[in-house]
Amino acid sequence: MKFLPLILRNLARNKLRTALTGGAIGLAVLLVCFFLTMPAGIDVFLSQIASNVRISVHHKGGLVYQMPFAYVNKIRAVPGVVGADGVTWFGGAFEEEGHVTFPSFAIEPEHVAAVWPDYRIDQIALERFRSHRDGAIVGRQTMEKYGWRVGQEVTLRSTVWPVALTFRIVGEIPNARAPLFWFQREYLAQAMRARGVSLDIVGIVWVRVADPALVDGVMARFDAMFRNSAAETSAETEKSFFTSFFGSLQGFVTIILLVTGLVALCVLCIAANTASMAVRERAREIAILRAIGFGRRLIFTTLVAESTILATLAGGSGALLTYAFTAAVKTTTGGWNTELGPLSGFLVSPGIVAQGVGLAVVVGLVAGIAPAYGAARKPVATTLREIF
Amino acid sequence: MSPCREQTRRRPVAEPLITLRDVSRWYRRGVDVVHALEHVSLAIEGGVFAALMGPSGSGKSTLLNLLSGIDRPSAGEVWVAGRRLNDLSEDELAHWRSRHVGLIFQSYNLIPVLSAQENVELPLLLTAFGRGERTRRAATALRVVDLAPRARHVPSELSGGEQQRVAIARAIVADPDLIIADEPTGDLDARSADEVLAILRDLSRELAKTVVMVTHDPRARRWVDVVFHLDKGVLLGTEGNDALARAPAHGGVT
Repeated sequence: MKFLPLILRNLARNKLRTALTGGAIGLAVLLVCFFLTMPAGIDVFLSQIASNVRISVHHKGGLVYQMPFAYVNKIRAVPGVVGADGVTWFGGAFEEEGHVTFPSFAIEPEHVAAVWPDYRIDQIALERFRSHRDGAIVGRQTMEKYGWRVGQEVTLRSTVWPVALTFRIVGEIPNARAPLFWFQREYLAQAMRARGVSLDIVGIVWVRVADPALVDGVMARFDAMFRNSAAETSAETEKSFFTSFFGSLQGFVTIILLVTGLVALCVLCIAANTASMAVRERAREIAILRAIGFGRRLIFTTLVAESTILATLAGGSGALLTYAFTAAVKTTTGGWNTELGPLSGFLVSPGIVAQGVGLAVVVGLVAGIAPAYGAARKPVATTLREIF
Repeated sequence: MSPCREQTRRRPVAEPLITLRDVSRWYRRGVDVVHALEHVSLAIEGGVFAALMGPSGSGKSTLLNLLSGIDRPSAGEVWVAGRRLNDLSEDELAHWRSRHVGLIFQSYNLIPVLSAQENVELPLLLTAFGRGERTRRAATALRVVDLAPRARHVPSELSGGEQQRVAIARAIVADPDLIIADEPTGDLDARSADEVLAILRDLSRELAKTVVMVTHDPRARRWVDVVFHLDKGVLLGTEGNDALARAPAHGGVT
């Protein structure tokens, strides 16, 4: 500790350079922490939206393949199943907004309450949904995005089926993170029958079981039921399903983490360059300190401490700024950004702060080691001969 | 009476503080081998103010580095304060210097971001003294060189002579046996140079410190007890009190 004043004075020697280096490290740590919130945000998002008693059953070949609609009743008959709803992708494009698409599905309204009780959809809205053939219930996010209101008519042109259907919005899914658009399966079936096509297929069957302990057994039962059939199934938990569904985001996260690593490497080079310059400029002073009795280890330690203290202070500031910044973003956006979707979790956990500060410490240590070793390694007589 | 002659009344102590026996130092510079010192033997008693004089490249600074434990000889033996320096590692030498040697350089070489007081305290950071004791000792050292009122000033706020006096305070603050000064008056005007030489003489005379100084300044002869003349790495002879600078037990002044 008695060498701390000397270290701090040396840090304050060139204030502009110290500020710029510290700023670069702090900014890098801010970026790293900010990026690191995204994978955690996805995970928490999945935990929030995914029930631990809900299962998706879809074609083993993937979501683009359909299953016979008859599977739904067989699935409902399995012991432990509380409810099951056959969901068919409609792929509706809202032409008034330039053909934008959002998740729109034909579902069975009478089973919504059993399968998605956690969505807390108003009972009156559900009743209207069941009684109106053209009724639709829509996620709050989508309602707000397009300024829709209950009672409004909306026309969507399917990108999957050769129909354009006009729906009357009868209720809202009170979940800001669910951009869903649900309508009656029978409405789509009628439209297809009018074109001579029978709607006897289904894309996904969402199932809710009574107890989390039953989930594994029920999933195995589903897959066993349809094994060796023309449409074998793959059952997975809702979290697993959404994890796969957001697979492209995971790729994005990988790129983000890669960029994060490169940012860290860049700032390491900046810090190392600064430390080298500082040591080179002070070669004479270091030689004098060694001459008056400062040992090699002490010189090495004080120089490494110098870069580490700077990096740690800057990194700590960066991490705290991330916390403040993400808190501000969460306050202004309500924790959900439509464009960023699940990436807008911005959860700065103590672990992320620790990782940011840890990165700064490592940058400081590594940046300081090479120049400090160079300054300490050379015999003092040689250094004095070179300098004087 | 010159200070040099005045010192002749002092009794030499039994064991010399510094003894060099047949010391040579050579080092490589590219493909060449430079013989900086060749077969130098000398002894200097404790409390003596000695000067090393000679032209550039005569080996004065090399000899000073060997005496102060900054460098080690290629051949021969260097004994200072009862310790054979040849045997010590780089780190052991650093520790030894912090206890036994005070260094003064030509260009003052103070740490520019530290105040005079903090510069003087630097060698004490290597001791077990607490903060209060370090401050007290540094203040005392600054009083010795008559710079107590300038303790809080940084080097850029001090004149050349004042900076060199701070450097002297730094050299003596840890109460070393030996003070080594490499051309301490080289960058000073005549008046400041006399002030510095007077302080060094007083350290030798009143505090019984052994002071060895490299100098080109012929006026320095007036202040010192003995002068060693070197040229081309060879000790040519001594000038002054032979009893204070005598031949070592096993070898003579070359």
